[in-house]
Amino acid sequence: MLNKILIISFYTLKEILKSRILYVTLLIGIALMVVTYVATEFTFGVPEKVALDFGLGMLSLSSLGISLFMGATLLPNEINSRTVYMVISRPVPRWVFITGKIIGLMSVLLINIAFLSVLTLLCSYLLGGEINQAIIFAILFNVLECMLLLLVVVFFSLFCNTILSTSISLLVLMLGHAIKETQNIGFVESRAFIKTVLEVYHLILPGFYKLNLKDFVIYNQTIETSYILNSFLYGSCYSLFLFCLIVVIFNRKNLD
Amino acid sequence: MIVFNGVSKIFKSDLLSQPFVALDNVSFEIPRGSMVGFLGANGAGKTTSLKIIMDFIRPTSGQVDFTNLGSDRSGIFKKIGFLPERPYFYQNLTGHEFLSFMGSLSEVPSMQLKKEIQKWAPRFKIDHALNRQLKTYSKGMLQRVGFLATILHNPELIILDEPLSGLDPIGRKELKDVIVEVHREGKTVFFSSHIVPDIEEICDRVIFLKEGKLVYDGTVDKLLQSEGQTEYIVKYRAPSEYTPQTDVKERQIFPGNLHSSTVSETSKNELLKELVDRNLDVIGIEHIKPSLEEIFYHIKSN
Repeated sequence: MLNKILIISFYTLKEILKSRILYVTLLIGIALMVVTYVATEFTFGVPEKVALDFGLGMLSLSSLGISLFMGATLLPNEINSRTVYMVISRPVPRWVFITGKIIGLMSVLLINIAFLSVLTLLCSYLLGGEINQAIIFAILFNVLECMLLLLVVVFFSLFCNTILSTSISLLVLMLGHAIKETQNIGFVESRAFIKTVLEVYHLILPGFYKLNLKDFVIYNQTIETSYILNSFLYGSCYSLFLFCLIVVIFNRKNLD
Repeated sequence: MIVFNGVSKIFKSDLLSQPFVALDNVSFEIPRGSMVGFLGANGAGKTTSLKIIMDFIRPTSGQVDFTNLGSDRSGIFKKIGFLPERPYFYQNLTGHEFLSFMGSLSEVPSMQLKKEIQKWAPRFKIDHALNRQLKTYSKGMLQRVGFLATILHNPELIILDEPLSGLDPIGRKELKDVIVEVHREGKTVFFSSHIVPDIEEICDRVIFLKEGKLVYDGTVDKLLQSEGQTEYIVKYRAPSEYTPQTDVKERQIFPGNLHSSTVSETSKNELLKELVDRNLDVIGIEHIKPSLEEIFYHIKSN
């Protein structure tokens, strides 16, 4: 079965690469170099920080964008165009199909992240910045964040149309980043009901803020090992749970 | 080979909508080595039945059993080739990449895959286009590459959903020839179509659905005999004012006092006797058999 997962992911990757989606990555890479050049001319003392900030920001935005928009159409497109029938009418269980599709799309994300990471680090390094562990962790956690978002949007695409699943997932992403700070504001703390609602939300829906290490990098803050471990476990377990849920639902879904 | 046993399928899009019965307690069997046509108007339940057979959707009640194909799903599906209706495939892959993809999923060794592609691609006249992306293919070419992907792994059972739609007459003829050829090699073929003459031409059995119910399951010949009213056209010479005493359905008079009377099987001999008794010149008798298409429309309208 592993072989078939790899075959499906390979052809999914091939199909997406040929759709020229990675031209966006190339454009962002060019923009990154232009901004870095401009930064060296207009910033005093910290051009490497601007390059790093912009690079990590673009890296995050583009990969989350790919997760969101391509994840929302990953399964509906297969069902609407009946290509799924060509695959699962062969000795391919449904879980193998969906695992292959998700790994294929994740590979596209990894290519995007790897390309922009190398470019960001190169720009920052050439401007005098240093490459430390925190930057590497920030990039790796971005991979985890994209994977989680991809699974969230694939999950919603099993029930909703493309526009709705994209909108809901975007909302979940934004709330997932804002939930911690929202819980701490005075207005919420003084209202028990709202506080409870947010706590329940925090328990059930993914807390994307835990996977965002960019601020630690930009503001040169130290990241504790326990924080990294906890966040990694949280992201991995949540992704695994969501993946299992997707497989169970897809196995039972009527593909009509 | 396939036993479709008391299958019903009810669709209900949401809580407030009325349930729609797509299949109502339908049972039939596809024997090994047969070529079975699946007939029915649009919405009769053909595609729903095929989706249930292929496990894309689950029946509300009843079950589908595969006999002599294996015990586990993987073993069974290795021996089935399925072509869905109007497939779009992966637009950015080339024809060759797509066929390699499908072949490897069906566990065809790469050497055999190459041989099969070399054998069939020229037959389907797509060998020149295999290095082009599928988005550049015409509808007919897509149908042909889809059929090639369906038979690549040498399946024992071939299930086709409207395989001839979208093809020009030459393309249809070529595809029908290949279907007949693979059937002669011992494959069981089950295909749905609303093009009745195609089914009449190549199928030995037909399953007929109407509004989700099974109307007929049997041989084409038996259906033609049971449903069709056999008629005869008797041509003879007689004075223009002559009117036969025998009950005729239709009567025409042509120049030269040539009469043509359409009669039922029971009236045929009576009319002949009358003509002989009156010493009239019988020129010929033509046996009119209704086509499967005429029977199809007759059943559909009733």
